[in-house]
Order: sequence, then C-alpha cells, then structure tokens
Amino acid sequence: MLYLSQAVGRPVRDQHGEPIGTVADLIVAIGDRYPPVTGIVVNTNGREIFLHWMSVTSLDADGAVLGTSAIDISKFQQRPNEIRLKLDLMDRQIVDIDGRKVVRVNDLRLDEVEGSMHLVAVDVGASGLLRRLGIEGPWRTIAHGLHRSLPERYIDWEDVDPVERTIASVKLRVPHKGLAELHPADLATIIDQLSRSDRVGVIVSLDDEAAADAIGEMEPETQVDILEDLEPGRAADILEEMDPDEAADLVADLSDESREEILGLMEKEDADEVQELMTYDEDTAGGIMTTEFVAVPATLTAAETIDRLRDLEPDAETIYYVYVNDTEGRLCGVLSLRDLIVSKPNVVISKFMFGEPVAVRTGASQEEVTEVVARYNLLAVPVVDEDGRLQGIVTVDDAIDTLLPQPSKRRLPRLFSRSGTSDR
Amino acid sequence: MRKPAIALSPRAVNRVRFAAILGVLGPGLVSGFADNDAGGITTYSVAGVKYGYELLWVLLASQVVLFFTQEVGARLGLATGQGLTGLVRERFGVRWVTFLTITMLIANVGSIVAEFAGTAAALSLFHVAAPVSAAIAATVVILLITRGSFGKVQYLFVFVGIGVSLAYFASALMSHPDWGTAFHSLIVPSGNPSAAYWLTVVATVGTTITPWGQAFIQSYCADKRLGPEDLIGERLDVGLGALLTNLIAAFIVVACAAGLWSHHIVIDTSSPTAVADIARALAPLAGEGATVLFAIGLLAASFLGLGVVPLTSAYAACEAFGWETGVDWRLRDAPAFYGLIIFFIVIAAFFVLIPGLPLVQVMFMAQVVNALLLPFVLVFVMVLASDKKLMGPLVSGRFLQVVGWGGTGLLVLLSITLAWSSFFAPA
Repeated sequence: MLYLSQAVGRPVRDQHGEPIGTVADLIVAIGDRYPPVTGIVVNTNGREIFLHWMSVTSLDADGAVLGTSAIDISKFQQRPNEIRLKLDLMDRQIVDIDGRKVVRVNDLRLDEVEGSMHLVAVDVGASGLLRRLGIEGPWRTIAHGLHRSLPERYIDWEDVDPVERTIASVKLRVPHKGLAELHPADLATIIDQLSRSDRVGVIVSLDDEAAADAIGEMEPETQVDILEDLEPGRAADILEEMDPDEAADLVADLSDESREEILGLMEKEDADEVQELMTYDEDTAGGIMTTEFVAVPATLTAAETIDRLRDLEPDAETIYYVYVNDTEGRLCGVLSLRDLIVSKPNVVISKFMFGEPVAVRTGASQEEVTEVVARYNLLAVPVVDEDGRLQGIVTVDDAIDTLLPQPSKRRLPRLFSRSGTSDR
Repeated sequence: MRKPAIALSPRAVNRVRFAAILGVLGPGLVSGFADNDAGGITTYSVAGVKYGYELLWVLLASQVVLFFTQEVGARLGLATGQGLTGLVRERFGVRWVTFLTITMLIANVGSIVAEFAGTAAALSLFHVAAPVSAAIAATVVILLITRGSFGKVQYLFVFVGIGVSLAYFASALMSHPDWGTAFHSLIVPSGNPSAAYWLTVVATVGTTITPWGQAFIQSYCADKRLGPEDLIGERLDVGLGALLTNLIAAFIVVACAAGLWSHHIVIDTSSPTAVADIARALAPLAGEGATVLFAIGLLAASFLGLGVVPLTSAYAACEAFGWETGVDWRLRDAPAFYGLIIFFIVIAAFFVLIPGLPLVQVMFMAQVVNALLLPFVLVFVMVLASDKKLMGPLVSGRFLQVVGWGGTGLLVLLSITLAWSSFFAPA
C-alpha cells in the first residue's frame, strides 16, 4: 500500500542507485475497475520527463528505482484515457456515488493488485488531510494515547466519478457510468453541488433520457442555467425527452433568444406541444397539465383498445386511465386499466366505460385541480377546453405540488441563496 | 416553416427578467453593506472624533481598492464557480489552503468578537451588562442560523442599518460641517507621523476591505451560479456596493467631525463611556434620542455581521477541506459546517466576558488585525486571477493586474508604516 502523497517528491534512482530526479506525478489509465499505473513523471533539474511504467522496478515511500540507466526522453503522448493523479485528481472534487455527494480528494491510495500497481481508493478522511500536512504521526500518537483512532474514510475507486473539469490539463473522457445508474433525484442532488461548468460536463456525458430525468428533478433556476449552458441542439434533444408540461415550464423561463433557438431545433411535434402548453397561465390546469395521455374513440372494442395502448402510447405519463372521445372529439368517458382487462375482448368500450368523467377546464386554478383530485381520489384528472375537447391531463404528482408550502422544501440559511426565483 | 413565437403570459416573462436583475444586483451590495458592521460604525466614528475631516482621503483611497478587490473576487467566482479556498486547495494544495484558512479564521474571529463587542456596547447604553448581552446575542444568532431563519431576518437588519445611515446623513447636514475642508481632505491626503494616526488609518482600511468580504463576494457569485456573461452586471453591483459603503462611512466621519471634533470633544476610546460619547454625533437630528438611535443602529449592524461573518468563515473552511457546506444541508447532514459556526460564535462570545473590556477599543483593534492579515489573502486572489488557464476570458488584463498588485502592495506598505510608526514615531 502506498499513498500518492508519500511518493511525490521522493528521489528517483537509476539501477546503479544514482539519483536522477524526484517523483512528480503518476499516470494511470482510466477504464478498468482499478486503474493501473502506466507511467511516472520525473522532475529532473526543473524539467518534467515521462517514463513508462515498464522502466520502473519499484516505487514506495522511499522513492522510485528504475530498471535502466538509459532514460528515453522521447516525447510522451498522453492518451485520452490517461490522467495524471496529482495534477488531475489530487485536491479536486469527485462524486462519491455511494454516499451521493461531492467530496474533495485528500490523498490517493495505490495497491498491488495481481502483481502491478493500481489506484484503488480515494482518501477523503481526516487522516489523509493530516498526512498531507505532515502531522499524521504526532496525531496518531496523541489519538493512541487517548485510546481513539483517527477518522479514516476511503471511497473505493469503483464508487467514484471524477468530475469533468474544463481547467484540467486534459479533458477527462470518463464515462459517467455510475452516475447514470443513480435515481434521477439523487443525481439531481449531486449535480446541484457542482459548479456551473462541472454540471454541464456531467449532463453532457449522460444520455438524453437520463439527462432529462435528472434535470426534471432540479430547481427551476438550476434547470435554466444548465439548459442555457448546453449546446442548443443538445438542449433541444433533452427537452424532447422531458414531460411536455415540465419542458414548457422550463422553456418559459429561458431567455428570449435561447427559447427561440432551442424550440427551433426541437422536433416539430414536440415543439408545438411545448408551445401550446406555454400559452396557459402557469397556475392553471392548462399550465400544469401534460399532453401525454391516452385517448381512444368510443367505437373501439376492449381488445382493440389494449392493442392501441401497446402500440401508440408508451410515453404517456399514466395509462391507468384511458380516456374516450366521441365522434366530435369531445371527452365522453373514461376507462380504468382494470375495466379493460376484466371485460370480454370483443365488447365495445362505450358499453362499460364510465360515462360521466370528472374533468376540469384549462383555465381552472391549481387549487381547484388539487381539490378535484383529492375529492374523487383520482390518479389523474382530464383537462378540457370550452368545447369539451380533451387537451391534457394533470397527474396526481403534479397536482399535489401546490399543497407543499415552498419554504419547507429547503430549510437552510439563505445567505448564499442563489435566486430571485425562490418565490416559485 | 417556423411558427410565430407565441406570446407568453405576462407573469412568466416578468418573473424571469426580475430574477435576472435581482440575481446580479446583489452580492456586491450585500457585502458592501455588511462592511458597515459594528466595527465599521465604531471605527469611522473614532476616525471622525479624533481627526475630524483629516482621514476622509483614506475612505476615498480604500473605496478604490475595495472596488478592485471585490471586482477580482467576483470575477474569480464567475469564471470558476468555486470559492476562494476551494481554488487555493486545487491550485496550491493542502498546506497553503490550511495557512490561508487559518489566516482568514483568525481575522474573522476578530471580526466576530467586534460584533459581540458591538452588541454589548449598544446594550450597555441601556445598562445591560456585557456578559448578559453576549449570552443573549449568541443564543439568538445560533438559533437564527441553525433554524434557517437568518436569511429572512437579515433584511430587517439591513433596513434598520439603512435607516440609521440616513440618520447620519441628516445629522451631518444639520451640524453645519465645514464642506470646504471636508472636500479638501477627501482629495488631498494628509500626513501625520504619529503612531495613533497610522493605527486609525489602518483600522479604517481594515474595516472597509476585509478577508471575509473577499471570501464572501466570491462564494456568493459562485453559489448563485452566475456565469461569465454576468460580468458587466456584477461590476456594476460591486461598484455600487463600494460607493454606497463609503458614502455612508464618509457621512459618519463628517457627522462626528462636525458634531464632536469641531467642538473639541475628546473621547478616550478605552473608557467605558466612549460608546455614549460617540452616540452624540447623532444629537443634531435626534437630540436626547441620539443614544437610543445609535444603539439600535449598532445592534442591527452587529447582528448582520454576527450572521454573515460566521457563515462565510464556516463556508470557506468547509470548502477548503471538502466538508458539506451550508446550502441544501440540514444540521445533522452538515455537522462540520454548523459545528464551526457555533464554535466561532461561542469562542467570540466568551472573549467579551472578560470583565472591564474596553469595547470600543476591541472593535477598533479587530479592524487593525483584519488589515494586517488582508495582504496574505489578496496575494492568493491576485495569483489566481492572473491564471489564464483557470480564468479563461475573465483573466486579469495588464491594467487589472497592475492595479490589483498595486493595491496589495499599498496594504503591505501601510502595515510596514504602522509598524515603523509604532516603534519610532511620537505616540
């Protein structure tokens, strides 16, 4: 076991024991579970030279010993998956995927794995800090005298995601695999702790759907920042993946130019939907509804309706309710999934649908919607226009948002509050 | 074919614009205002009472330096999205950031002690004993911060502070100041070889440009997620903040000069009655009520500082060592953050318990400590802001580098002058 801080600055000797410089940095190849050390940076007379790991016989807290006396100082090419531990990782922020937070690297722990040296863990504990300050020994003695142990905290490299940094000497091309597997709400919490440029880096590395889910969980002002920092084409792709009601709220908050540009780059169908939703006042049923619902003509049979569900609407926010339109396109009934499944396949749905569906107008206030949802115990309530045509649905999760008093969502000293939009 | 842009509901559009303005016009003004804390009011008063209009040039000079130090701090925050200690950690490593953090914390604990002295001084005008007022102030502030309500209450303190500042404007105008001398002193620096003079100069600079203010502006910009595109708005904000701070400071000095100094009233800053004497500068406006008015202003200023300085300190320390900082965390999720805040407050409160402590002198000397430690902080700031790789397009140009290093150099020179004068000059 070796800590990077113990090796850096130690002498490097050739095979005859002649000192040729000091250890400046180590290079690892990212990608494996535990990245193997592939090279060493040696500081010799103020100049940095790179040596391949093959030429190193040993490395420990006493320094490095080379297996050769002939140093090949041919130009070193840093490959895209290689990073310098001290320069690119030490003291930087990383994401602790397991603990779902952003922490700072105090030291890096290297170990022999299957005969070669690998980066195995990140030291984020107090003992790492004390080691870097050069006072770990005395503290250990004191702690021992008090029958205590120094707090040690390591994060296994597998649970680490290095944050992409534009200022790093190389742009890390690290797939944020671990991050993508997190629940969107956790991912949003982590991204919220990052600086603005780092956030964009993480979002860029995710696929559109994961990015949309994570953005959907963020504070409105954060969403706006991210979307405006992203390349517009990518922002449009991500918006297409979001629920249209969320996307519309978000697009409404963008600056005029970004809004025009991003909407123009979205697929026409999605852009139209978003624009339509944006015409409704935010506090009304129209403003919080989504247009992704299932509606079928009253003339279908149960079996045809189930087929339709399978084929057409995999994106719908909820399929527990299937809405039924009459020949003029007006809402005339609603079916539950249960009704559909228990009925005989060849029965026409108008025979067993619930014929007097509860609905709200697009202009209804958010409070009215909440009340209707609560009174009738609905998972979603349909929203209709003046002519009774179905425009969208408000799902229960969007309806109950109004019930939460906003301040209770964040109970913190607001000294470093980041917004004028907290009234939302 | 693209559809014509659809008109949004007016509410949605207004909210965004309003947020954009509020979002940028903020940190500089807040930091500028919090600069006029208990130590600020007291130091400016002492300067006016002791030297009349003579030190007004120091205010003008420190306003210029304040603008450039705050500007560079804001720029660091905008360009990197990180606080000062976070950047120092990444660029210079653990040892340097430990040095910087300890330096800042010493200065900040000094400031917090001054805020406690401020509450004690304000309440002493109502015959409340210092230990009692310290205990009350510490309890109130810790409760406000840990329960998350400081953010709301701080505006109350700001508004009371603005009210009392207006009272100083009025008092200054009503006490018939010698405007000619005042303007002359504002522009032409005066010299005076005495140690006491230079001590007052250093304290005045130290209360205007502070280590915590430097950390505050940067963290605030970073935390608000402002970006490089907000540079112009932020410069405006910082400029307004610096101007406002120093305008208020100048009127406090003028009020004290015209109301007290010109009547040859001598105040011994180490005597227990010093607070009541300083309060009399508000007498032209408030008459007998001057004491009450001053006490209220001092109390509000102290409480604003008591919240902002510990929060900023804990934030800086946590960022340096990678502990969870305040935003988005509750007490049990960020024990280090809240633990540090409580630690700073309790340590400083205990200091005020020393019997017979000359409160005005304590507030004054805390500003001197701030000024002496400030250059150490600024050196890091200037090095970071000149780093092209870190700053990108927001890197300090040649002009800003010269001004930044020039200001830092002046502060060092000032400390040397003070040291020299205290050994060799007449008292």
